[in-house]
Amino acid sequence: MRRIQRLVACVMVVATGALAAAMAAAAPPTIFAAASLEPALDQLAHDGALGSPAPRLVFAASSALARQIENGAPADVFISADERWMDDVARHGAIVSSTRTDLLGNVLVLIASADAHATVGLAHGPAPLLAALGKDGRLAIALPDSVPAGIYAKQALTELGMWQRLEPRMAMTRDVRAALNLVVLGQCPLGIVYRSDALSEPRVKVLATLPPASHKPIAYPVAIVTGHDDAAMRTLLAALESRQAHEVFRRWGFDAPPRRQH
Amino acid sequence: MIELDLALQRGEFSLELALQSPARALALFGPSGCGKTSTLLAIAGLLCPRRGRIAIDGHALFDADGNVDLPPARRNLGVVFQDARLFPHLSVRDNLRYGMPHAVVKDAFDDVVQLLELSAFLKRKPGQLSGGQIRRVAIGRALLRQPQALLLDEPLANLHREARAEVLEHLRGLKRGFALSTILVSHQADEVIALADSVALIEDGRLAALESTEAFKSSSAGAGVLVAANACATG
Amino acid sequence: MHLLTPAETVALALSFKVSLVGVACSLPVAVGCAWLLARTRFFGKPVFEGLLLLPLILPPVVTGYVLLIVFGHHGAIGRLLDEAGLSIAFRWTGAALAAAVMAFPLLVVALRNAFESVDRKLENAAATLGAGAWRVFFGITLPLSARGLVAGLALAFARAFGEFGATITFVSSIPGQTRTLPIALYELISTPGGESGALRLTLVAVVIAVIASLIAALMLLRGGTREAEA
Repeated sequence: MRRIQRLVACVMVVATGALAAAMAAAAPPTIFAAASLEPALDQLAHDGALGSPAPRLVFAASSALARQIENGAPADVFISADERWMDDVARHGAIVSSTRTDLLGNVLVLIASADAHATVGLAHGPAPLLAALGKDGRLAIALPDSVPAGIYAKQALTELGMWQRLEPRMAMTRDVRAALNLVVLGQCPLGIVYRSDALSEPRVKVLATLPPASHKPIAYPVAIVTGHDDAAMRTLLAALESRQAHEVFRRWGFDAPPRRQH
Repeated sequence: MIELDLALQRGEFSLELALQSPARALALFGPSGCGKTSTLLAIAGLLCPRRGRIAIDGHALFDADGNVDLPPARRNLGVVFQDARLFPHLSVRDNLRYGMPHAVVKDAFDDVVQLLELSAFLKRKPGQLSGGQIRRVAIGRALLRQPQALLLDEPLANLHREARAEVLEHLRGLKRGFALSTILVSHQADEVIALADSVALIEDGRLAALESTEAFKSSSAGAGVLVAANACATG
Repeated sequence: MHLLTPAETVALALSFKVSLVGVACSLPVAVGCAWLLARTRFFGKPVFEGLLLLPLILPPVVTGYVLLIVFGHHGAIGRLLDEAGLSIAFRWTGAALAAAVMAFPLLVVALRNAFESVDRKLENAAATLGAGAWRVFFGITLPLSARGLVAGLALAFARAFGEFGATITFVSSIPGQTRTLPIALYELISTPGGESGALRLTLVAVVIAVIASLIAALMLLRGGTREAEA
């Protein structure tokens, strides 16, 4: 009886090994991407524009993703929503710098629920926004010290002289799409998100655009993660940068990448 | 007047008993496992008979036909369990007073304490008492409830000789001092003879005989059961 | 000497407030449910038990989302609270509710075990002495299960203190209101240069967790076995 047990064990080990090897060979590429890219990238992957097998997409705040990649998360490609986080990852030697390039741009907008009555703008200081928030309402915004959308928003509001009075009335979320969701669900009367987020969601409307000059230019750098650089990833990168992909991104509300200042 | 007419099912074991006794102190006597403790628990309200009637001095505690099933708390009985069941987190004094009705006079408490010689350890916790002392506190606690009847489940079981004699003496004293209906469960003939007026012999869940203690003492059945009880008494 | 920055101190104090209030509110409900599980039988009891354990099994974010839908503005219950001026959305009370919900299963399980370990025969004896159900519970069951109760509270507090996913999903991060220690920790981890602050808060969190575990272990070890029923 013992001999049979050993034989079965051997067969299982070999089979598992073979299965693992087969799975590794066929494993799709993994893209860690900023949360705001979710609808656009989902569509691209679904349409087959990013190759076959379609890449695995992981969305979260760029801050969270960067930390994970720095600690060895199994990403092949990283798309961040700001330069700062890509710089941080580069400092840790976790990306192949030669592959780094700016993929997209974006713009920040002030949104409200689509059926909200109030229309406020940003031209008259914080008072109209505070009025629109009422007694209990809050302004939904991504975490302003770590999530890119929040960082840009804080820069803009500070530049516009509105940060101090608005900050106590904010609800800060884990990522920009959570902020969008709070407005969609009617939990917050106002929110600041990317224009791409607003356009992807028919249940919200854009009240005003934050002047691009009031914050650092929004850029979405993309790069291949160290140790994952190969022909397949270069092809994927090229697919992301292609005209075809850009059309899709544009339709989802993204801009061409900003011209680098330096 | 004690009226028992009940049928009980506990797993494989079934019990059917019907008796009426005008005795003040009735003993349920038989070997272990014959159903005596189950009968006592049913009288106390901790087991529910399938059918029948239980009444003491005309007060119905359980009556299947009349839809009466008083919860244990309302049966006004003083139960002394075989394992005493003193509350470990309360002092002896608090244990004694647990079932006391609010309107009880202080004298009643002192009387019981004196009778059962409990004054020396009123402040102690049950964990610090000997077997005999625990048994006496349990009896005192049941008495202080001012019940209409006292139920005693093997009051002298598992006590070494001295403690046994001590508790038996106190129980005799109680019998003399209190006119309380008592139902006593035991498999030891000497206990029964000392404390009961009337004996119900129970065998295999059935009533074998109901007789006065005198008759029990001298009957061959009594002697026979005495031998059998001692022989079969298992845990 | 400042061990923590002002912002970190605020988060720490808020976490204590939220956890204490959360567990305190969770306790009566947990006691009731634990008693039902330990001492009663009723139709559908396994389903009831399963429902009570849901917050333990569901991803915290899902629980947070459900809280948002029900207790947020426009929610089934949130609407009523708003009208009564008792809104908990985006308030520390909302964070306390999230903490309470997440700690609840731990509390129920610990309390149930504590109640079950109390000798039922003692409760029966109390009943024959005239004690009604409430008196039996408060006079006998509860005092005799005190150790298990304290252990359960310690563990529940630790769980409430460390609650993150449900809280940030339900009430977001609002400094002074809902930015509890775990949320502040998350933000510090996500901020370049926040490592030293993250380390400080991590140490605090670890110390609290260790203390809670020690209390629980002490209670459960010495509480030991009541005389097992034959």
